[in-house]
Amino acid sequence: MTQQTLTEWNDTQNESGTAGPPRCLSLTVRGPWGHFRRVEGNIVKQTYRIIPRTTVAGLLAAVLGIERDGYYELFARGRSAIAIEPVAPLRTVNMPVNTLSTADESMKSLNPRGKISIKLPDPTKPRQQHNYEVLVDPAYRLYVWMSDSHWFETLHETLDEGKSHYVPSLGLSEYLAEITYHGRFEVESGPTDTAVAVDSAVPNAVDHVVPDAESRCQIEESPAFMTVDGGGRTTTDFTSYTYNPDAGPVRVRNPDTAIVDGNTVMFV
Amino acid sequence: MLSPEEFRRTYPEATLLEELPDRPIASLRDIQYLYGTLYTLATTGGGTYAPYLTPDAAGDLVDEPDSLIVVRVDISGDVPVLASDSQGPVWVTKYTEELIPKVAHCKYPAARGIDHSVTHQAGKNSDPDKLARYAKERLSKWAADSVVQSTAEDHEDGWIIDALAELGENEDTIETLEREVRSNLSGSTTALLTVQVKLDADGPYLWPGDLDVAMAAMRSRKLSKLISKGKASNSAGEATDLITGARTRTVGTAQDPLNYFLGKQLEKFPGFDPDQAWRTHPISEDAAITLMNAETFIDACSYRTFGARVYYLPYFFGKPSVEDTYLLYGILYDTVMQDAEERGLTPIETVYQRREDDAIDDNKLRFYVSAVMPHQMSRFDVFGETMNGRIQYPASLAAAHRDALRTAAFKNDGERTAALPRDENWPLLSDGGLLGLVASGSYFYQTFSTGDDDTDASADDPRIQALVSVLSGDSIPVSTLLESYVDRIIDESGDDEYGFPFFRVASQYAQLCALATAEHDFLEAAGKQRPISEPPSYESRTMPKIEEPITDGGFAGAEKLESFIEDTPALATNDERCASFLLGALVGAVGSYQEYKHDRSTTLVDQFPVQAVTRNRIKKVTESAIEKTITYTRQEKKGNASYPGTKFDYIVDRLRETVIQPDPDDWEIDTADLRFYYALGLTYGMNDRPLGSSIESEQPNPTAN
Repeated sequence: MTQQTLTEWNDTQNESGTAGPPRCLSLTVRGPWGHFRRVEGNIVKQTYRIIPRTTVAGLLAAVLGIERDGYYELFARGRSAIAIEPVAPLRTVNMPVNTLSTADESMKSLNPRGKISIKLPDPTKPRQQHNYEVLVDPAYRLYVWMSDSHWFETLHETLDEGKSHYVPSLGLSEYLAEITYHGRFEVESGPTDTAVAVDSAVPNAVDHVVPDAESRCQIEESPAFMTVDGGGRTTTDFTSYTYNPDAGPVRVRNPDTAIVDGNTVMFV
Repeated sequence: MLSPEEFRRTYPEATLLEELPDRPIASLRDIQYLYGTLYTLATTGGGTYAPYLTPDAAGDLVDEPDSLIVVRVDISGDVPVLASDSQGPVWVTKYTEELIPKVAHCKYPAARGIDHSVTHQAGKNSDPDKLARYAKERLSKWAADSVVQSTAEDHEDGWIIDALAELGENEDTIETLEREVRSNLSGSTTALLTVQVKLDADGPYLWPGDLDVAMAAMRSRKLSKLISKGKASNSAGEATDLITGARTRTVGTAQDPLNYFLGKQLEKFPGFDPDQAWRTHPISEDAAITLMNAETFIDACSYRTFGARVYYLPYFFGKPSVEDTYLLYGILYDTVMQDAEERGLTPIETVYQRREDDAIDDNKLRFYVSAVMPHQMSRFDVFGETMNGRIQYPASLAAAHRDALRTAAFKNDGERTAALPRDENWPLLSDGGLLGLVASGSYFYQTFSTGDDDTDASADDPRIQALVSVLSGDSIPVSTLLESYVDRIIDESGDDEYGFPFFRVASQYAQLCALATAEHDFLEAAGKQRPISEPPSYESRTMPKIEEPITDGGFAGAEKLESFIEDTPALATNDERCASFLLGALVGAVGSYQEYKHDRSTTLVDQFPVQAVTRNRIKKVTESAIEKTITYTRQEKKGNASYPGTKFDYIVDRLRETVIQPDPDDWEIDTADLRFYYALGLTYGMNDRPLGSSIESEQPNPTAN
């Protein structure tokens, strides 16, 4: 397989930048629980319903074994494309969790003078209970393309062998994820007729969604792209996803869709 | 605040369009930003400082006596002094509408600390001592504040601030101020405290609103809070504004009107640094100020229930259009006004009232709904949340409930009582204001169990879950509903004074019928409980039939029972449930009989309360109830009553058929299910009687069979 250059990919994009890439890998991630902390709250522990694009990038980086802050360029705009399709109803429960402070001053060093030293919250301190909004049985089918053919191939091979470098999880490390790999697919351009039923979450097209009294559609905005600077990482762009919480399709007027393995999806 | 008509006039289409966000509403922050924008436009209008002011914060004080205390300072001479003219150094007056822009109040929304503006709001009914302290702090604390001081350094009129601060250091001045405040006030009052300054010997005393340096200092103080709060000292950095999407300087400790984002929190994610808060929650300064201005609208669109605060924030799906924004402003304005009048209509009711006049597109109008439970000032939980609340959901439920009360289940036919009672004193058994009940959460407060704590809900409180489900079009599991109903019935059955909660059960049943009948799927049930979620097919009765002969010698009581069972899918399709109901009906009927005919204070209803009925015990209860019926039959027949068979045989016969086969020992029915339908039967039996004095007998006509 030859690497597609950035220019080629950019040429295939239309104005809104949501048209499909040439090919993609497809996998389903699922687990009994998931929690994707929303940026609007730190007091409250709400979760996104649709796994954020940045989390997908982190999850795949974990599969590939790329370190923290090391994968943002790989999944940058124009160098990658991801579509996310919820394949199970998006249901949540409130789960009370006892937490210990993770502020620097509350972290205790274990083996502080040794070669390997780790920090953990001081277990002698009193706990505080918070309700975490937790997704129950979340499952998403992901469609992923990267312009970097080395990593694209590596990801294909790793998934194909059913391996993962780090343990994949859904938001929090204790919510383990199970990955089913479907394989590599050609991406065909999808219908752009007046109203199309889109299977994936619909990115950045709120005003094209056809409101329908029968099926429910919801919307949320989550981080999509990140960058690293001297002090840490920041979000460079957010995506608003319109989605059907019952895991059905959403009807969209004149969308930029792609068809992968028979499913109508929208990439970002 | 501008009325919706004034708003439309002041901001014609082209002008308003420039102010509106260019992106679709996709998050709570987007809604808050839009509200803040509208609020600023409607109150303070344009100008550099407008978004920083809080003209409504002291709205309650307008035109109240002694509501404004003015410290008057003359800095026209070499040394700053307190005013010595006829009005004196402290002037106590009335805060009026005209003075709002002059006084230029900017409230700091925390319990501690001074307001951002030199104008400061005292607590409710502060005593003169406290007010005297606040008065002197205008000079000694506000003017000396480090942020105010650094503004003064950079401002050409900074000398004014310096003069105030200098005066604030003078002990004599402070004493004079204290004395003057005490002598000008007769007692405690709620007031704003401000400062007037005379700059020129022949010039007037100027208000803070006239002094650019005072306004600039106010602005700096407000902005400083966006980057420093609690443990954060300078939380700002270059990032993408999560509201506008612009790459800009962002701040990390902005005030959020819903308080979802505050200082540092215990987290599962290690290494959060408050000074880096702008990385996780990046908001530009302008956007942060706009969010804070959403507070008035957001407060008006919220309601307290079960100890939690429920927010319903209306918005239109997609990018805000000018027309939708005029409508939205109208809704918000009405809600604020109604809140002020204490009519307490929820935005859902306000919208419902407006939607015909304004041709609101029901599909586009959405509500952000959440229930927030505070535990402490800085720790609380969100129990339920959706961006997808819609007016149709509560409206269809309210309509279905009203319709249920108009069916044979709740309306009599003129001959015999309806299956279940109605009562004007019970909100769920009378016609008025059902939408308000649904929207406010009272609808479930009336019927669900109260939990461990009567007033406050817990995280898994079914009342809040049911409320949020209904508002967002989700479904409620039937099993949750029945368990909660039964818990409430058992709680109240223990009360000796009122006995069996007859109207409570009827209210619960009316709700169950409404949830099953409403246009949306509000109930979720599996297996044998599925028929409970199916709509019953009771005959609707617009008015009771007055004179209709009983057909073919049949007995009205038997016919009523038969048609109630046939029209109730939950009973018609499941013998176990039907038997529980019939047993309740028999116990209820015998209980009423004991009470009215024999004046017994303890009846069969008290003997077999809901909590006493289980799969294991139902056989024994049935035997006892039938035995009691036979005893009364014998007694009546000795007293020369003549009818064939036993008393209440229309219930007993059916009961025999259902309880005996299959044997209750082999039943599979869930306990809550069994108990609820037993309670429903009790209510049915206690309510069941002929209407009017002409009909004596409660037994079948002896000549009929």
